[in-house]
Amino acid sequence: MIQISDLTFNWPGQSKPTLHINDLQIQQGERLFLHGPSGSGKSTLLGLLAGIQTPQQGSITILEQDLGKLSDAKRDKFRADHIGTIFQNFNLLPYLSPIENVLLGCNFSKRRVANLKRANISAQNQANLLLEQLGIDQTTRSRSVSELSIGQQQRVAAARAFIGQPELIIADEPTSALDADNRDIFIKQLFEQATHYQATILFVSHDASLAHLFDRQVSLKEINEVKQ
Amino acid sequence: MKLVTLAFKSISNRKASVLLTLFTIAVSVMLLLSIERVRQEAKQSFGSTISGTDLIVGARTGDIQLLLSSVFRIGHATNGLSWQSYQYIKQQKGVAWTIPISLGDSHKGFSVLGSDGNYFQFYRYGKKQSLTFSHGRPYHNAQEVVIGSEVAKQLHYLLGQKIVVAHGMGNTSFHNHDDNPLTIVGILEPTGTPVDKTLHVPLKAIELMHGPTHRVSTTAIVRNNDSHSHDEHEHHEHHEHLEHGHHDHNALESEPGDLIGEPTQLTAFLMGFDSPLYTLQVRRNINTYKPEALSAIMPGVTLRELWGMLDIVEKILMLFSAVVVLISLLGMLTTLLSSLSQRRRELAILRSVGARPKHIFALMCSEAVLITALGSLIGIAMFYLLILVSKGMLQAQFGIAISLSLLSDYELMLLGVIMVSGTVIGAIPAIRAYFYSLNDGMSIKV
Repeated sequence: MIQISDLTFNWPGQSKPTLHINDLQIQQGERLFLHGPSGSGKSTLLGLLAGIQTPQQGSITILEQDLGKLSDAKRDKFRADHIGTIFQNFNLLPYLSPIENVLLGCNFSKRRVANLKRANISAQNQANLLLEQLGIDQTTRSRSVSELSIGQQQRVAAARAFIGQPELIIADEPTSALDADNRDIFIKQLFEQATHYQATILFVSHDASLAHLFDRQVSLKEINEVKQ
Repeated sequence: MKLVTLAFKSISNRKASVLLTLFTIAVSVMLLLSIERVRQEAKQSFGSTISGTDLIVGARTGDIQLLLSSVFRIGHATNGLSWQSYQYIKQQKGVAWTIPISLGDSHKGFSVLGSDGNYFQFYRYGKKQSLTFSHGRPYHNAQEVVIGSEVAKQLHYLLGQKIVVAHGMGNTSFHNHDDNPLTIVGILEPTGTPVDKTLHVPLKAIELMHGPTHRVSTTAIVRNNDSHSHDEHEHHEHHEHLEHGHHDHNALESEPGDLIGEPTQLTAFLMGFDSPLYTLQVRRNINTYKPEALSAIMPGVTLRELWGMLDIVEKILMLFSAVVVLISLLGMLTTLLSSLSQRRRELAILRSVGARPKHIFALMCSEAVLITALGSLIGIAMFYLLILVSKGMLQAQFGIAISLSLLSDYELMLLGVIMVSGTVIGAIPAIRAYFYSLNDGMSIKV
């Protein structure tokens, strides 16, 4: 699924590289917990995986596609097609309704739209279905985004990440603004959806206490050869 | 969802600042269009005040001054010309008609114009239109007056009413001539020219107003009684025709009398020729006329000179309104730029769902275009509202008839320039957003 080898990344203008990873592999359908305290190069690694930045050395291969060999525009398209993202918080565009926020997930991807078509479901219905599965009821769906609780917002963001069946879900500290109960429910729901849609989950957090919920855990501190 | 829809939803989410920006753009567009429209219509209005007149003759003075005082009733002619000179020049070869004009008196702020029957027969305005009566008929004797439409409207004068005309130009006058009341026998149709704000009386009425003290020795005055009475006769028939069928017919019956009296001086006179060929010839003769220093001007030529002088004023007005538009667009730039730093999260979210930097650029640009377009539309609506409201006032105060017509090509071109400028200015925050989204990527700053 994901294959990182001999990767070096250097932010422009910095003498020392931020990230150097010899080898990291993630299997299809795996739920990986990436433990990364702040300053461990976590954002940099996510930027590289999403194809926003490109490494100076080494390669990142996702779904047999070497990101380094793609043009900027192709990498943007690749991200739109294959990767769903959930951020820490404030994931949603405040001027769109929850449904519109979910639909935004297939706004820039023809592939996701095609996936929905193949599954014989309209984007609107799929958005409603995902929100239903994630526990956002009808009345909440018609509310304005700013009226939703953070837990509800994160679930809407999760629905957006899943719509159109991307293969990889990257979750960047999605639970850090949630209390313990909500956090566990959210992760449980995330896993249910991942199973249902056969998605791989890369879950990044500084909170090591969540690690036991996952198939495997990797510490970025340990695999990053550049010592901070 | 289309980017434009996204842009529209985004700006409607920032109502307060966007509404203010819309308002400033709308006001500036309204201002620009209004100034432009008034400028055009004023020019047209001025240009159509007099037509068909080949020469205007008065005492020697500046060309523009003579035009303004004789036709537009702006300023005073300091000197008059003598009745003898008028009689002499009238006899020149090729002269088709002449209209004597005596100005200098007023009635409740409206100017009084002394003339003879030729005025109603030969005076032309606009596209060679002659004066027509909405009520009544021309004057027949020195006790009658014909008033312009605005005079009738503002002073609520009716046909048959008796009024007193004062000596001098002020609203209040030191000596009113209560002994010489005039009967309103005619009200003219609106023309959109100073005629609307004028009371027309026979020359003799002016003379009577001023009393015998103003009269200079009449022995020197040569009068061409024969040709004159002939003219009068013709007019009379003309009047009868106009009057025919009017309900006030009987009330306004009067004896035809002397319209001219024994004037010594005129303010100016208008001339028409049988052929334009005579115009230059006669003009030369008048300008070199020995007994008196006279000026003869061709109204069209002098009007063009006047535009030449007003050109700089027009340009300054245009410049100011253009600057106002520019400031409003810069206001939009400020709003968009200051909101941009708060919107980096929004940009990161869009990037995460696959929006490319070029999409971000297009999104920001279309926001600027939407705001400019919406602002312009509101501005156009406000412009028409303004015309609707101020139409009557402009007509009454300045004699400028503003039409509620569609936008002219020139006005559309101005709007086009505003739209292009708005887009170009909108590209500035768009370019910044483009680079933000390149550098920030999906990592959320702020």
